[in-house]
Amino acid sequence: MKKILLLQACCIGLVTTVVAQTYTDAIMMKKKEICFAMMYDQGSWDEYWEGTNLISNANIGTFTRTTYMPMIAYGITNKLNVLLSTPYVSTKSDGGQLAGVKGFQDVNLALKYEAIKKDFGKHRVSALAVAQFGTPMSNYLSDYMPYSLGLGTQELTGRVIGQYEFNKMIYVRATAAYVWRGQTEVERPYYYNNGSYYTTFMDVPSAVNYQAVLGGWALKHNLRIEASYSTLNCIDGDDIRRWNMPQPTNKFEVTQAGFFAQYYFKSIQSIKGFSLMASYNQVLEGRNMGKATGVGGGITYQFTF
Amino acid sequence: MKKIIAISLSLVLIIASVTSCENELPTFFKYTAYEFSTLDSDGGTWQPILFSSATDIAVAPPAAVGSPAYQAELATLKTATQNLTNKQREAITYWTNNPVLRWNEIALELAAKYNLIPPPNPDGTYTLPSAANPAGPPPFPFAHPPYTSRMLAYLSVAQYDGLITAWHYKYAYNRPAPYITDASIEYAYTKNSLPAYPSDGAVIAIVSRDILKAMFPLEHDYLNARAEEHVSSLMWSGSNTTSDIEAGTAIATAVKTAALARASTDKMGAAQTPKPVSDQIKQEAFDRFGWSWDNQETPVRPVGLTPRFGQVNMWNVPDVVAVRPVPPPAPGSAEFERDAKELRDIAKNLTTEQRKIANWWSDGLGTYTPPGHWNRRTKEYIVKYNMNPLRAARTFAYLNMAVMDAGVACWDAKYYYHYPRPIQTMNGFKTILGTPNFPSYTSGHSTFSGAAAEVLAYIFPQEASAVRAWAIEAAESRIYGGIHYRFDSEAGLTQGRAVAAYTIARAQADGADD
Repeated sequence: MKKILLLQACCIGLVTTVVAQTYTDAIMMKKKEICFAMMYDQGSWDEYWEGTNLISNANIGTFTRTTYMPMIAYGITNKLNVLLSTPYVSTKSDGGQLAGVKGFQDVNLALKYEAIKKDFGKHRVSALAVAQFGTPMSNYLSDYMPYSLGLGTQELTGRVIGQYEFNKMIYVRATAAYVWRGQTEVERPYYYNNGSYYTTFMDVPSAVNYQAVLGGWALKHNLRIEASYSTLNCIDGDDIRRWNMPQPTNKFEVTQAGFFAQYYFKSIQSIKGFSLMASYNQVLEGRNMGKATGVGGGITYQFTF
Repeated sequence: MKKIIAISLSLVLIIASVTSCENELPTFFKYTAYEFSTLDSDGGTWQPILFSSATDIAVAPPAAVGSPAYQAELATLKTATQNLTNKQREAITYWTNNPVLRWNEIALELAAKYNLIPPPNPDGTYTLPSAANPAGPPPFPFAHPPYTSRMLAYLSVAQYDGLITAWHYKYAYNRPAPYITDASIEYAYTKNSLPAYPSDGAVIAIVSRDILKAMFPLEHDYLNARAEEHVSSLMWSGSNTTSDIEAGTAIATAVKTAALARASTDKMGAAQTPKPVSDQIKQEAFDRFGWSWDNQETPVRPVGLTPRFGQVNMWNVPDVVAVRPVPPPAPGSAEFERDAKELRDIAKNLTTEQRKIANWWSDGLGTYTPPGHWNRRTKEYIVKYNMNPLRAARTFAYLNMAVMDAGVACWDAKYYYHYPRPIQTMNGFKTILGTPNFPSYTSGHSTFSGAAAEVLAYIFPQEASAVRAWAIEAAESRIYGGIHYRFDSEAGLTQGRAVAAYTIARAQADGADD
């Protein structure tokens, strides 16, 4: 569900809370295992970066984005998982008169492949690759930022994940991803992007994303906690012009820190298979996006088919 | 392994299908040089706007075709057309034989670039753009719809008068095109019998450059560079010799001087009033009608946009009061409640089609404004109907005079009636478009569009029903956006049409229809 991070980090209004890790972590479903998850997060900001200049705007006030995301993960084999998710988003602000919006955002399908898993005594090295495709679920308008549900474009993400686990207790993980983005169709026949554009299509900048994670297991391997540091930078795009609305062509950049915890009820027979998740994220630095603080939670249920 | 191959293959297919959806994004109108439907050899007899006739500007006769001086010019021109670089060829293709359209496009781009509302200062005050200190911040100008309508009117009128003058001397002196005198000179565009002296291209390049420099003082370098390339392309394309270009430049300079003299005294300088005047205008409206408009932004903007634009000199309407609409329904009246309820109903059940129309015509901050939108459509019709540069300039001149006059008339009504916007009269009402910083009645979009559509219906009668339908759609779009009541839009359309009647009456008498 780092997909959410990607999309959201790349929109000024979008929350950056990460409520689940499935797209970026090193965890695999075994063959015929299935996991249902329902996640929630809420991100808000009252300052945003206009280009690289952090400002507030009383005509937006405090902006809030709420996301509900159902997700399914399934083990095709022990080495290959498929993931499907589709967030439902609502946006609003407490300043100004612009109406918020709500609706389904994008459907995302990913394949996650575990290329390497090697144990050295009590230590383990693993390497994974994820290919992910996302496309809008509805005809929501991307060109209504910061309120828009998403960027309204097809996305293709290639990601590599490497993890080293010490003593089966503490692990470090690094991920790198390239997010290729296409165009979004908007509803105005002209826009300005360092020059005139006579079209209803906008190029949405592609991005690179890096993340470093320090994690560990506690409470007899029932609790997983992580601290993360991540960046996402669009490779091109324009800046929000002075006191103007953002638009999907903008060059979005974000650096953020996050905390994540997941408790598995493995040892309680009656609710075995369930887990609860919680997360907290803070944007530290950005460009053309809100300085968001996000909190999230979720529940998962896992069983074998 | 098979699985991995299958997965890789499907990924490749997904990438291929996604990337094939990519469109090339046009940054200017893709048209090429074309054959003109008419040459309008009597164009020099048409009535100019700023002058009494084409002969107000004197142009000396050119050197004889057989003279050594002209022969030397031809030799220079021939060299210029040979061994062109790719960049020079691109310039020839870009500027075409109707560069009026390109300069209109440059004007729209600058409008979009400068159409940014001044932000508040940290202490909650606002600093307005100042022509005396164009660098700001904020930069000058704020190219809002009234500013842009006026900028386009001066640009188009100056182009038109310059070309009437050029046409007069072209046919008075009858110097043939260079490639006719010297068959070895290659001409890049469609051949015709239009005489070459003075150069119509040079008139357009120089007069457009100079009007736009006055309107966008921070863009001198950019505009000089565009004009330099345009003028050079006149030689690269084999269109004109040096003396053709010099004569065209002289006409442009004389026209520019007259146009900017008018602009300096048209009262635009007083349109953005100080707060005491703005407060007085508001109080007068309140005393008259019992209501007034308030800006709803935080921090509140102390003065609305150009309260005295309604007093700026009009081109063709003798008295703005002649096109002032009847008063709007009072807030709270049955008629008001009916239209207010319509807005709430639309906001509650907005269809995708309504949302699209609202955004299609929004033309808000950061764009070329509604006047720009109508200029863009006009440009497309000019190419569709193969107009020569003189006809094109005439079309833009009457369009943009009507659009500016519509703006003046609309602004007169806006500040005379000082009518509150829907977000002011309906507590908690939310919109999908930003509400502008000026009163509600009449709708600017509707007034601009009503006027523009009538002028276009007159010039392109085959398109009359299409352009009138667009105007109605533009007027509706503001209702869907939640920022105008239906009575604002309907009164605006009517007002715009009334303004256009004056414009069209003048156009019908200028000799071009004969």
